Parts: sequence; C-alpha cells; structure tokens
Amino acid sequence: MTTLNPGAAMDHEVPRNRLLNVVRLQFVNTQTFVVVPALVLGGAWLISMLIFWVIGGAGVDGVKAGGGSQAPLWYFLAIGIQAMTMTFPFSQAMSLTRREFFIGSLAAAAVSGFGMALVFVLLGLFEQATGGYGINGYFAYLEWIWVAGPFAAGLTYFTATLFFFTIGFWFATIFKRFGALGLTTALLGLGLVLVGLVALATFQQAWPSVGRWFTETGSLGLTLWGLLLTGILAVGSYLTLRRMPA
Amino acid sequence: MDEGKPLFVQIAEQVEESILDGSIAEEAQAPSTNELAVFHRINPATAAKGVNMLVDKGVLYKRRGIGMFVSPGARELLLKERRNDFALRYVQPLLAEAQRIGLGPDDVADLIRTGAGATPAQP
Amino acid sequence: MNSVIQVRNLTKRYKDAVALDDVSFDIEKDAIYGLLGRNGAGKTTAMSILTAQNLPTSGEVRVFGENPYENARVLSRLCFVRESQKYPDDANPRHAFAAARLFFPRWDQGLAEELIDDFQIPLKRTIKKLSRGQLSAVGVVIGLASRAEVTFFDEPYLGLDAVARQIFYDRLLADYAEFPRTILLSSHLIDEVSNLIERVLLIDAGRILMDESAEDARSLATNVVGDAAAVDRAVNGREVIHRESLGRVTSVTFLGRPEASERAAMAAQGLEFAPVSLQQLIVRLTQQRSAGRDRSPAESQEGSLR
Repeated sequence: MTTLNPGAAMDHEVPRNRLLNVVRLQFVNTQTFVVVPALVLGGAWLISMLIFWVIGGAGVDGVKAGGGSQAPLWYFLAIGIQAMTMTFPFSQAMSLTRREFFIGSLAAAAVSGFGMALVFVLLGLFEQATGGYGINGYFAYLEWIWVAGPFAAGLTYFTATLFFFTIGFWFATIFKRFGALGLTTALLGLGLVLVGLVALATFQQAWPSVGRWFTETGSLGLTLWGLLLTGILAVGSYLTLRRMPA
Repeated sequence: MDEGKPLFVQIAEQVEESILDGSIAEEAQAPSTNELAVFHRINPATAAKGVNMLVDKGVLYKRRGIGMFVSPGARELLLKERRNDFALRYVQPLLAEAQRIGLGPDDVADLIRTGAGATPAQP
Repeated sequence: MNSVIQVRNLTKRYKDAVALDDVSFDIEKDAIYGLLGRNGAGKTTAMSILTAQNLPTSGEVRVFGENPYENARVLSRLCFVRESQKYPDDANPRHAFAAARLFFPRWDQGLAEELIDDFQIPLKRTIKKLSRGQLSAVGVVIGLASRAEVTFFDEPYLGLDAVARQIFYDRLLADYAEFPRTILLSSHLIDEVSNLIERVLLIDAGRILMDESAEDARSLATNVVGDAAAVDRAVNGREVIHRESLGRVTSVTFLGRPEASERAAMAAQGLEFAPVSLQQLIVRLTQQRSAGRDRSPAESQEGSLR
C-alpha cells in the first residue's frame, strides 16, 4: 500500500461478482435473451419443416437444405441494439462502470449465443442421424458448415451470434453518442471501405485468388477470422462507449 | 410558533415545556435525538443541537448507552429561568402595546386585577 | 472535516451552454444536503459528474478520495436516483428491484418491501405503463433501500402527490436517523425540504451562490415591515435584497441580523420583524443575481457571518 495518497476508498474492496451480476441483470427479464431468440429459432425450424414437407409432397426427393437457421442470427443484431439502448442507462443507475456493463453484456450475449449454438448442433446431429427427419430435409445440418465436425459447426454458429450482437451494440452506441448524423456517417464510411475493397480486388484482378482464399480457408478458418473480427468490433464498441454520457 | 428563532431552540423549548408541565418527570427518559427528528420532521443534527443545548443548561444528562434523562431539579431550574424571562417576554410587550393604545401602567394593572379580557371593552 | 466528496474548479461546457462554471465545494460525511436552485441551474449536471455518468470539461472531482470515473470501488458505494431515469422497455418494477438488490451491497429487502407497500407500486406492470408518480416512486424505493453511503436524489418527487411526498420525507428521515449516510437531495420545493436538510448548496447559472448550514442560512436575512421612512432609516447601510411597498407601508428584506438592542430600537419605532424562510431567501438571492449584480451577496456577506 502506498502512503502517498491513502484515499478512503482504499480500504474498500470492490464487491465481488459484479460482472456476473451484469449477466444476471441482462437475464432478470428473460424475454430479450432467452424467450425471443428461442421463439425465432423454433419458428424458423417449424416453417422450414413445413416447406420441406410441401416440397416432399410435390415429389422432390433430393437433399433439401434451408437457410432458416440463420434467422436467429439476425435477431442478435436487435439484441445488441436493445442491450445498448435499453439497459445501458439503467446500468448507470445501478452504479456500474461502463466497462462492467460492456463485458457483462457481451458475456450475456455469449451465454445466449452458446445456448443457440448448442440447439443448432443438437438439431444438426439429429438430422444427420435420421437422414433429415426421414424426408431429406436439413435445417441445421448444412454440409459446408459441418465439414470440420459438430464442434466446428457449433463454433461457427456461436461466432455468428456474437458477431451480429457486437455490430448491433456498436451501431446503437454510435447512434446514442453521436446521433443520427453520426450513425449515417459511420455507415457511409463502412460502405466506402467495402466498396474500396471490392474496387481493389477488381482492379488488381484478384477475384480468383479471393475466391480461392475463401475456399481454402474453409468454414472453420473463416470462423476463426470471424472471431477476430468480432473481437475488433467489441474493442471498437467499448472505446465508443467508454466516454459516453449516460 | 416561529418567531424567527432557530429551529434547534424551538425544539429545546418544546422539551422544556414537557418538563414544565410534568409530562416528562425528573429522572425519566427524555425523547432521543432521532425520536425528536422524526416527530418534528427535522434533520437529526438540528434535533441534536437542541438536545445538547439542554445538556449544557443542566436540564438533561446522558446515561451512557441508554439515552438522555431529565436531571433532578430540572423543573425548578426551568421555572426559575422562565420567571426571570417573564418581564422581558410578556410584560414589556404588554406595556408597549398598552402605551400605543393609550393605556398607562396603572390601567393595565387594574385590567389584570379585574381579570380583563373576559369582556372586551366597547369603543 | 471529513468530506466524502471534493469538487475543485469543475467546469462543464455543452455545445451551446456552460452548465457548471468553475465550481468548488465539499460534501461532508453523514449529512443531508439540499442541492437547491432553479431548473437548468446545473444541479443534474453536477450529480451526473459526481456519479461518473457524465464527464467534466475541466476541473477535478474526488469521491472517497478517488476519481469516480470507471471506478467500481467508488461507484459501488453510490446511488444516483435520476428524475428521468430510463428502464429497459420490457422491465417491470419487480425486475428493477431485483437488479438493484444485485448491485447495492447494503440493499435492505425488508425496507424495500415496506416502501413498495407505502407507495402502492404495481410490481408486475411494465414500467412504460406506470404513471409519472409511480415511476418516481420506483426511483425513491431504489434510492432509500440501497442505503448507499452517498445517495443522490435528483428531484425524486415528480408526479408524487403531497401525501406520497410526505411518506418519502418521513421515510428518508427515519431511515437516515437509524442509518446515517450522506444524502444529496436536489429540489425546488424548498419549503418542503428546508427542515430536512443540514446544509444548503445553492446553484445558480452554473455557480455556487450559497454553501451554508441550513441553520445559518435561515438567519442570513431579516425582513422588516413598517412605515416607509422608518424602514428606510432602519436599513440604512445594509444590503437590501428585496423591497416592496403598499401605500406608506414598506417591506424590506436585508442581509444580516440586527443585534437585540438594534431590534429593540427598531421595534420601538413600530417596525415589525418577520423571519425570512429559506425559500424566500433563495428566491430573493437568485432574483437579485439574475438582475445583474456582479458580486453575489452571499459572498460579500460571508466575512460578517463568521
């Protein structure tokens, strides 16, 4: 202990489990992180099943793979926005630091994303075992994602949830801090960067190698890149949030 | 009740009243600072100031860990003080008002003796 | 001196306005402070910065000896009840209290439940659907039951009727008496809180206009009423902060308290004294200040008061 500045706060420990409690805070009302994502997943599954059944009834016997399982991913964009716009001001009333709020919310999204990924993998394994519910219909078992096995498939799904969550969270933060003009500017900037990358690939006539890179990297490799990108987005979100007034 | 007197003085006076009229006996426990604060809806620090004033005066004394008690002889002490103040607090304003409406000290004395006030004088 | 909060040369500038202008003050431990002043005077900004919900433009803030910004060690000992607190859209009061119980180490569930009863808060109605008064009551319950070492109440009574406000004041006082802590209560219902508070911090246009004990503040000014000429003689040489006349009768509020002998002399001339309530004093001081005096009367008078 330094004797230079013995502030009164020195003898006070930070109460433990505050981070864990932020996760619990996000789950106090189960609707956002549990009920709605489960509904979206269940609904998408049901609709996919109906479509497979209709197509099967029309006499198509081939492999039927739908993209319905991606629906909940988009919802994580909304969760990211809500966690920011609704819960952040309240977190301030609960005397939380921005860092605690951010890490805790990310952890809550991870818990929710993990649950979704688990359901995704279990469905995929079931589809694998039953030959697509016996009607060759695949909701979760999408070959390209599953090449590296169930664990990698789960990781891909999990990464995607977090990726969308952080995007939603960051854009909501930008909107709250810099207003509609700030958000528009950020989106425009992002668009310009993407167009720039496309232009670069086009002018360098690099598309074949870009395509090759995607194929060679595979779903697992792309997932790992995605994790890295999510990490960068998370850092960006935190830096935007760090000095934002409540 | 407010004559611009500080709040803590008013609180102290109210406790004195209770001792004078016998509702708190000598050697009995006096209301605590917190009780006074909650009852009169005032800040406990203000109530404490009033209580301390009574302690300094010898009206109350503290029993460690139990609370405040009325000192033996407190009532006599207060009576003496009130009698001393009587002229200043009641007689002087009475005479000042009497003078303003044209009554001399003798008129006032007469009024007091005959128990005036029961029948207001007609102009 | 045992101050839990120290503010030095704090300035907060927004794009188009200065909310706090080089403000310095201390907050003592275990006292109830009244943070008084008009709307827009800078009360909310000051509280937001003290609780690290907002950032200063310049100057320094110390809470428990440390900078509160992103400081969980400090923040976990504070509770800030905002007048316009936002809650998650789909949350109900039960959710809000459950959350508060997680984060305030001294939270008292028994007290919370009593208060919920007192204010008749519907626990399962969505917060969005609560009346303004019920919404305020949710904040009041969190602020009181958290028993935080420093609790900030920013106009906590909006929409509460007189009965509910009295419940708040009574509960605050009773719980404070039992569990002393530091409380900053911002309000413009000055009469209602003037007996509750131990110290007054008056903010006007981003500056501290008064930093006094409530007791001293109440004796800061005197009001004298009587014949215009006599009143003028009596207040000659004193700093007059307000004057009004009706026919030959004049009422003047001036700073300071005349000695008993002076009072007797004035009374002999038929002048009457009336106390100046905290509310009157504050209204007069802020009016006088906005009238454009460059020196605040509280400052110029300080020397003679100490």
